[in-house]
Amino acid sequence: MSDDAADVQRVLAGDVDAYAALVDRYYDRCARFAVRMLGNRDDAEDALQVTFVRAYRALDRYQERDRFSAWLYRILVNQCRSIAARRAHREKVFVREEALLLNAPDRSTSWTGEDEEFVQRVLSELDPLLREAFLLKYIEEMSYEEMSTLTGVGVSALKMRVKRACDRLRERWERIKHD
Amino acid sequence: MTDSDQHPYVEWIAREAQRPVVTDQAARERIMMAVRAEPVPVRRSRVWARVFEPRSFRVSPVGTTLLAAGLVGIGVIAGKVVNNRDVRPPGGEPSVSVAVQPRLPVSSSVVDTVVKFVFVAPQASKVSVVGDFNGWNATTTPMVRTPNSAVWTVTLPLTTGRHVYSFVVDGSSWIADPAAPLAPDDGFGHASSVRIVGRGSAL
Amino acid sequence: MIQLPTTVRFRAYRRVSTSLLAVALCLSSARIAATQEPDPLLRLDPSSRFAVDLMLDSANAEHLPTRPLVSRALEGITRKADGKRIVDAVRKELGYLRTARAVLGGVPDDELSAAAAVVEAGAKPAQLAAFRTRHKDRNDLAAFTYWADLITRGVPAEDASSAITKLWQDGADDATFYSLWKSVQSDILQGLNPGAALQNRIRAPSGKTPPDGPQESQSQ
Repeated sequence: MSDDAADVQRVLAGDVDAYAALVDRYYDRCARFAVRMLGNRDDAEDALQVTFVRAYRALDRYQERDRFSAWLYRILVNQCRSIAARRAHREKVFVREEALLLNAPDRSTSWTGEDEEFVQRVLSELDPLLREAFLLKYIEEMSYEEMSTLTGVGVSALKMRVKRACDRLRERWERIKHD
Repeated sequence: MTDSDQHPYVEWIAREAQRPVVTDQAARERIMMAVRAEPVPVRRSRVWARVFEPRSFRVSPVGTTLLAAGLVGIGVIAGKVVNNRDVRPPGGEPSVSVAVQPRLPVSSSVVDTVVKFVFVAPQASKVSVVGDFNGWNATTTPMVRTPNSAVWTVTLPLTTGRHVYSFVVDGSSWIADPAAPLAPDDGFGHASSVRIVGRGSAL
Repeated sequence: MIQLPTTVRFRAYRRVSTSLLAVALCLSSARIAATQEPDPLLRLDPSSRFAVDLMLDSANAEHLPTRPLVSRALEGITRKADGKRIVDAVRKELGYLRTARAVLGGVPDDELSAAAAVVEAGAKPAQLAAFRTRHKDRNDLAAFTYWADLITRGVPAEDASSAITKLWQDGADDATFYSLWKSVQSDILQGLNPGAALQNRIRAPSGKTPPDGPQESQSQ
């Protein structure tokens, strides 16, 4: 039995605090997806809060054969979509100062605040569905099958979205180069 | 990013995006606070597990005699199976009476009540019960024909509360229980039957 | 009468084939409960499963029971309905549960499902409102069940609603609801128009069956 399944068992047996182990195991990774997807910390934290609470409520449906992470991500992806849809009418929420705070310090390589601000801006310019597919494929490194189960979208449609995301990013680079 | 022909710029974006983000311990604590305020999730499919395990349970003396006498459970109208007009059976009397008034005592420690399903189908070669207690699986709960009769029965433990079910005749015809209240059409063109279990009101 | 010992060892599903039982036992452990297969919803195509999962998720978020939704999906799978139809059926059920919740508030899951069935059968949600007043130690499972049945059999929704409500307000117990239902059902099966069948039976004061009621209902 995986660690995840064992922790789920403990929670269902009444040990609520065992859920903290699951939160700890997945929070950072989910946070990274939510921030990259939504572009700002506040929305990301909202998404994470709802995701983990909903996942808790739905534990009675979790089957050991499911990968907990896939199951959790399904809720997370859905939650990010809801939040993105709700703020569709608001102006672009990406803020420079926010971006500087988003990434954790990484002493191993030199990076500049400008780099990750830039990356986040570029990602935020992608259409949400393309961004989502790109993130799942290249940041979460999921297989297309996993992505399909998670998003409810067919594999070929997902491949198309990922390809288009890469095309957009490349186009953007071409534009910069020629500016 | 494993695509060998991926553009270096796109690879760079992906690499940067893979960096971890700052997370807030307070946010995690808020999650646990919210979680602690929730009711503990209960695995509902445990209900289904019961159905497959050999069980022993307590039945009061009154209950056992009622069980043995076949007075607990759903009655049936003898004769043809469907809700048709021709209800009067050849003998003039229903072959099994509907039991409602005898209340099966349910002790507080027993969550399940034993319930008997009865169905009359003289022409059938096999009958089963499908319902929310067995995932509507037509092979899980076959009924047994009483020798030399048209009566099919099965007995199983059901949890207290409301259950929806139907009979499946010869693997394909879904027939509602003629002696039980109907549930509205399920969205698949069929009205199932309702069984209420426990709480002193046995239908 | 057969005398049986007080504690009865009872084997459910004696006739379940050995292999099926073996599979079920292998799949179940102390806490992980097995259904007849690991996850029946897996038989849904991924997109439909996703849609159903989202609805289960919403139900959880709204503290609505998920069991009736899963049950509906499984029924559809057994009946080999296509994914879209299953999703529609689950969506409708969720809607009825929401409506019942909006009218009745926090009632036990079974009563909620039964109340949802009343609306599904065709009663107006407002007609459930009378039942919002909770009576201590009463549960309305029987009332709601027979109510939904009467409408499903063709009794006009208005008539069924007022008959059931009146009985309830007069403090009828489950046995009274049962009697009414049984006699109306019997009359319908004999060929009586459903609306008329109901009117016949409620004409007696306080919803009690007429003095010769018991004989009538047995005479088929």
